[in-house]
Amino acid sequence: MERRYWDGKVSEIKKKIQSIFPGGAWNPLYDTSHLPPERSDVVIRLEKQQGAIRVLVVERDHTYARASTVLSVGGIRQQFSLPQNVQLSLFSAEFLRNINEYLAVVDDPPLDLQFNPSGYLLLASEEGAAIMERNVKMQRQEGAKVCLMSPEQLQKKFPWINTEGVALASYGLENEGWFDPWCLLQGLRRKLQSMGVLFCQGEVTRFISSSSHMETASGEQLTLKRIHEVHVKMDHSQEFQPVECAIVVNAAGAWSGQIAELAGVGNGPPGTMQGTKLPVEPRKRYVYLWHCPQGPGLEAPLVADPSGAYFRREGLGNNYVGSCSPTEEEEPDPGNLEVDYDFFQEKVWPRLAQRVPAFETLKVRSAWAGYYDYNTFDQNGVVGPHPLVINMYFATGFSGHGLQQAPAVGRAVAEMVLEGHFQTINLSPFLFSRFYFGEKAQEHCIL
Amino acid sequence: MLKYIIPTIMLMPLTWLSKNNMIWVNSTAHSLLISFTSLLLMNQFGDNSLNFSLLFFSDSLSTPLLILTMWLLPLMLMASQHHLSKENLTRKKLFITMLISLQLFLIMTFTAMELILFYILFEATLVPTLIIITRWGNQTERLNAGLYFLFYTLAGSLPLLVALIYIQNTVGSLNFLMLQYWVQPVHNSWSNVFMWLACMMAFMVKMPLYGLHLWLPKAHVEAPIAGSMVLAAVLLKLGGYGMLRITLILNPMTDFMAYPFIMLSLWGMIMTSSICLRQTDLKSLIAYSSVSHMALVIVAILIQTPWSYMGATALMIAHGLTSSMLFCLANSNYERIHSRTMILARGLQTLLPLMATWWLLASLTNLALPPTINLIGELFVMMSTFSWSNITIILMGVNMVITALYSLYMLIMTQRGKYTYHINNISPSFTRENALMSLHILPLLLLTLNPKIILGPLY
Repeated sequence: MERRYWDGKVSEIKKKIQSIFPGGAWNPLYDTSHLPPERSDVVIRLEKQQGAIRVLVVERDHTYARASTVLSVGGIRQQFSLPQNVQLSLFSAEFLRNINEYLAVVDDPPLDLQFNPSGYLLLASEEGAAIMERNVKMQRQEGAKVCLMSPEQLQKKFPWINTEGVALASYGLENEGWFDPWCLLQGLRRKLQSMGVLFCQGEVTRFISSSSHMETASGEQLTLKRIHEVHVKMDHSQEFQPVECAIVVNAAGAWSGQIAELAGVGNGPPGTMQGTKLPVEPRKRYVYLWHCPQGPGLEAPLVADPSGAYFRREGLGNNYVGSCSPTEEEEPDPGNLEVDYDFFQEKVWPRLAQRVPAFETLKVRSAWAGYYDYNTFDQNGVVGPHPLVINMYFATGFSGHGLQQAPAVGRAVAEMVLEGHFQTINLSPFLFSRFYFGEKAQEHCIL
Repeated sequence: MLKYIIPTIMLMPLTWLSKNNMIWVNSTAHSLLISFTSLLLMNQFGDNSLNFSLLFFSDSLSTPLLILTMWLLPLMLMASQHHLSKENLTRKKLFITMLISLQLFLIMTFTAMELILFYILFEATLVPTLIIITRWGNQTERLNAGLYFLFYTLAGSLPLLVALIYIQNTVGSLNFLMLQYWVQPVHNSWSNVFMWLACMMAFMVKMPLYGLHLWLPKAHVEAPIAGSMVLAAVLLKLGGYGMLRITLILNPMTDFMAYPFIMLSLWGMIMTSSICLRQTDLKSLIAYSSVSHMALVIVAILIQTPWSYMGATALMIAHGLTSSMLFCLANSNYERIHSRTMILARGLQTLLPLMATWWLLASLTNLALPPTINLIGELFVMMSTFSWSNITIILMGVNMVITALYSLYMLIMTQRGKYTYHINNISPSFTRENALMSLHILPLLLLTLNPKIILGPLY
């Protein structure tokens, strides 16, 4: 598309991620990012009015080759330790169930998400049992259907599990499982395009903003910034396109930190609001696919060992995908997406084999790596506006559970932009200001 | 008349030769002075016209419109200061020159005595407006908008040229003073039907009539603020003024030729009001509201009763001021948020309370609150259409309700509610903006006290 100087009425731009803005009465904004989102898509659902807000989605990589969304394992669960997370994924589960109503496009075939509602099975050792019980109680209060199982029940239900060291297990009965993230991504893109959202391939290189000095109620001097223009650099060229915008949504996933720095977030003396950076950085995670002829059958949920290893069934031919989150010392270098098979041999396989004896005879077929948009502060998402750069909204930092919360987060950002506050799910623990105030919204069940 | 035309022409060298930091001050101050002199026109006889020469005259129909036109130039200049601040000097001066030349053509159009002179100037106003829209508009759609605007109006008015020349040849003169006495009844024949259509279509497109209104939302939305102001306030009234003048020579054909247009206007009035309820773009809402109000004027002019003529002229002046003010308010929003979407800028009352007062007043006059002249215009039109045909009261009543609905909808969406985060640091209202709004609303409120000066020649 050739535009010399494109003044968007309103453009929301996001670096590799796009966010779309809804226009109209009820437009949820959806953000998909699971494994590190290299790009997340946002969907808009225009209930009534089309073309009200002009949205521009800026993607660095149109092929989504290194996007966290498509490289993710694609699971969705409600078994979190924060009520907000549970609510987010409950809505997303409902969204995914009814995806063909939400994302219907005229004359296009319906989406087949391949949602396997097999549930998650989180295992807890003695130390973690009390926490797990508390979490399950909270999840049940929020409306998730989770059951607690003792080792005996576990053995009866899943005979292929070795229950040694397991004190308690929580099994999600409904709305949990895994699905095809590529399908969700394409469905969202398709719907967006049909609603008139503009997609652009480029990289955001600069924000032009203006500052104004304001005084808070307590007399403190603040500098509020407003982004007026975004410079989008075209691929393979030096040219850039300035885009005038009213609102920018940063959903750049693993690279949101860089985008935030471009916008001036964190430029200031440390310890002040100006100096608080967005603590999202890319972390590499591996996913391995193996074949095991005697492995668990069709009823196998996504099993998460207390040691950190997890696996799930993939397809119908005794293939499984799984991995393990490395500890802080073992963090791989996020410079590239090369897979380290030694990690599997040394760390993942022993743990898997200990939990599921059948996995002693597995054979790794392939593996890939993707990025987590890892929030180093508390491993939970950052949603909402920045207090000082007033027209930049965040929807990032989900540290591995972004994909499953994407629809709900999108809706939340939409509510924030249109109404000024969260309406359906109160995500105020996820606001940016918590980094300055030090209020952690820690998520304990991270896979 | 030269006492208005020469100063207006001389505003152009004033702009070009002023010092760099004085161009706005000079042009605004001097155009304000010229507008005050226009008030002298009011000193005329009630049922006759004030004839300046063989070319120019003004009667109680064109006087209010002329005063409105001349009042609007300083307002347009004040409103454009912000968005032109980043342009280079020549561009700024060029913009002001366009506005001044538009003003010049408009003054001459409203006072033209000869209908061919009127036609030439009617067409001439298109050129500066087109330049303003296409050069200084904000979005890429402005080119399309300019095209629509130009060609709709042109296509509508070329037949008018033919018809005027024909009338000149048959009647002998197109001079308005003489035409009144030499007019012959126009009998019903096919060629007269086409002549009637040819005469009226130009003004129907300009008003605009409901079926021919597509250029208006585009042009109004894509034009910069000065363009929107002059389009809404004055250029639409050119159509009304032209219709009021030309119906003089088209009797008695208008009695039955007008029916399709009355139908279209009555229906279109409700349609465009309803569209306003669904708009998300603020300027687009105001543009459609203009179409709706002008449809009332078309109905009033076509039924040709004394009260309807009075209502039409009152409504034209009232709508001119109100619409222009609404566009200025929408522009003040746009300059802060860079978006025309209503839902993105909400709860402004908490942040800018004085501007909220102007919004309230503008919305109230837009919905024809008594005792403003908007109400007087609408009421006269309603009463005369009721006596013309009883059923029209239903449509008019529905229209008044929907007008109130969308005016309040616009007010509530932009002013009330909780404000969104991204308007936290909008700059407070400038004195210039407050002055602009008060200069719009003050004439409107003052006219409430003495509406007879805008009620036209049939008062």
